[in-house]
Amino acid sequence: MRSLFLQIAAVTAINIRSIPQRFWLSLSTVVAVALVVMVLLSFLAMANGFQRTLKGAGAADIAIVLRGGSQSEINSVISREQVRLIEDGPGIARGADGKPLVSAELYIVVDGIKRSTQTKANIPLRGIGTEGAAIRKDIKLVAGRMFNPGANEIVVGKSLLSQFQGFDLGSKVKFLTTQWTVVGVFAADGSVFESEIWGDLPVVQSLFNRNNVFQTVRARIDSPAALAELKHFADADPRLKLDVKSEQEYFAEQSSQTSDLIQKLGWPLAIAMALGALAGALNTMYSSVAARSVEIATLRAIGFGGFPAFIGTLAESLLLAGIGGALGAVATYLVFDGFTTSTLGTGFTQVVFSFRLTPALIAEGLALALTVGLIGGLLPAVRAARTPIVKGLQG
Amino acid sequence: MNDFVLIRKNLFRKKLRAVLMIVSILIAFAIFGVLAAFERAFNAGEAVAEDDRLVVVNKINFTQPLPIAYFNRVQGIEGVRRVTHANWFGGYYQDPKNFLIVLAVEPESYLQIVDSDYVITPEMREAFIRERTGALVGESMAKKWGWKVGDRVPIASNIFSQKNGSRSWDMHIVGIFSKRKPQADTNVMLFQYDYFDETRSFGKDTIGWLILQTTSPEVNDRVAKTIDRGFANSSYETATDTEKAFNKAFVAQLGNIALIVQLVVGAAFVTILMIVGNTMVMAVRERTREIGVLKTLGFSGSRVLRLILGETVLLAIIGGVPGIALAALAIVNMRESVGNFLPGLTLEPSILAIAFVLMIGLGLATGLAPAIHAFRLKIADAMGRG
Repeated sequence: MRSLFLQIAAVTAINIRSIPQRFWLSLSTVVAVALVVMVLLSFLAMANGFQRTLKGAGAADIAIVLRGGSQSEINSVISREQVRLIEDGPGIARGADGKPLVSAELYIVVDGIKRSTQTKANIPLRGIGTEGAAIRKDIKLVAGRMFNPGANEIVVGKSLLSQFQGFDLGSKVKFLTTQWTVVGVFAADGSVFESEIWGDLPVVQSLFNRNNVFQTVRARIDSPAALAELKHFADADPRLKLDVKSEQEYFAEQSSQTSDLIQKLGWPLAIAMALGALAGALNTMYSSVAARSVEIATLRAIGFGGFPAFIGTLAESLLLAGIGGALGAVATYLVFDGFTTSTLGTGFTQVVFSFRLTPALIAEGLALALTVGLIGGLLPAVRAARTPIVKGLQG
Repeated sequence: MNDFVLIRKNLFRKKLRAVLMIVSILIAFAIFGVLAAFERAFNAGEAVAEDDRLVVVNKINFTQPLPIAYFNRVQGIEGVRRVTHANWFGGYYQDPKNFLIVLAVEPESYLQIVDSDYVITPEMREAFIRERTGALVGESMAKKWGWKVGDRVPIASNIFSQKNGSRSWDMHIVGIFSKRKPQADTNVMLFQYDYFDETRSFGKDTIGWLILQTTSPEVNDRVAKTIDRGFANSSYETATDTEKAFNKAFVAQLGNIALIVQLVVGAAFVTILMIVGNTMVMAVRERTREIGVLKTLGFSGSRVLRLILGETVLLAIIGGVPGIALAALAIVNMRESVGNFLPGLTLEPSILAIAFVLMIGLGLATGLAPAIHAFRLKIADAMGRG
């Protein structure tokens, strides 16, 4: 047994030391695998970043109320009467002053100019109630102040500011015939809210000719369990044809479509490219076996078994693919991790998100790389082990 | 034995190696074909747009409404040949997942303006204008749901509801139209604005956007400025753009798809270039002695160069052509599942032409180094080796 290990170690060492002899061919395999892993990881990091941005926004103890069947905030319409009924509904948390922690909101899509392309894109302007910022989790003002009730003032999300021009603190923005002043910038732990503009609900309603129109109601609930109570309440009242969901549930639904799509594009592409890289790996390893056929035959003539020759070749292949995978992961991390961009979310507005590479994703990338190495090494390794000694010695 | 036979024999002297190179080239071209078709499909809106068509939307954003009165006001502006209006309905059939593109339109003028996109027969036109609940359905939508002329289908909206509280409208299919332009999307349903406006519970007398045809593309700018200036400082300011620019800006909202496609295709081709290029260098080096023999027999340096370049170009074509065929097959299979948001997914002739240029380019690029090496090789050096 010990001798088998020594043989394997010796053959593997010979294999690996001989890599520089096929430097360019080996390098092409490494680069090919690295590019495959890069393509896969950049798509996965994109999907993951998008999902995190939306899921991060959802809290389990905040209920979001939409008109039945409307699916997303932009399609929803809620009347003042319905807002009142919800405010008095069961399970809704109340502040120190006894007022319900509820924010009726209006969600208006406005144009912004994307910095990267200088083209118009949809961004959301949300009219929020007085409790609007307080009931959401992790909202922090990072510059300026909150808008004053009744004033033509807006606060903008940090991500929005980074991707769209004209919303710097203190600048004036014109929607319709009204000038609005940007008085604050807020952060929301990287969530989708950072892609929004907020203003005082009554002001937004009146300046956009939407008096008494609401689209959603957000409510802090006593506990995640109280959600069922509120749902039951809405179902029982014929005046409330509404969908009640936890914010967490709502954003999970909103994110799944887009991130699924990105993943569904990423994997097939990476697998197709992996097949191309596999052809390269097989080529490299067959050349390696051919170049060392005399050595392998010599070793076997002096008593080495076929199995160490098999393992040696496989190890070389796995090493090359492993280096490629690691290079691909490092390159993706350096180039794409934290790369910020935006796309159209299901709310029909831009969602600003950053690519996020996680250790779990890197493991998927390395697994793909090693699969290429394993399959690419297997057949050549069999050949290395099986070639008759006499034929091998002839070169 | 002519040069082609020589090229072919050289290429396949190590069968496995040749096959592996062909497979990797095939995959690169399959990726190219599929992604290029996707990119084209994303930009189909731009390709289908007519130069003399303008789109007028609310200046705040195109999802905001405009008053119906603008329809008549724009009609009177000099340089405007025809105007129509449309309204996004947010339609779905039976289940919200079965999302449908449904537009409430002014029947007569809308059909006139989209005449260059769709084939609308006079009977269809007449029935659509006459019948209040009539709807025209595009070929691909009708096929997908198995609808026929004469069917009555309930179409629900995720935005609007009727005054009677119902969320769904009954549509009487009076015609199924096909496309006139290859990029036009027939996954669409049109129904009468009047029927929609009279029954909906809110938003009465508003429209989504205006589409107009100018008397010629030269007056586009002037007409756009006149319209926007005319509505400036009103409570519904407008933004007028060419249909092309509007569609382009909309696609740009999804992200830089062209860049993603270029990066992935670029990565695939760099991979192939490295694999095939290095393998060819190795393959030619193995043949050094033979090249010496050829030169001894009187083959000129440039003929040897041509032989090697011919070999790599042949390799690229043998790999590339089935790769593109594979892409075409994949696209046919994908058309069904992505048809809803990416109509017109096809391998256009221009993609094929680019693919062919890429094949020649790849062949020359991978063969260049070994070919020059062989071109320069002196007989004495070649025969002296190994």
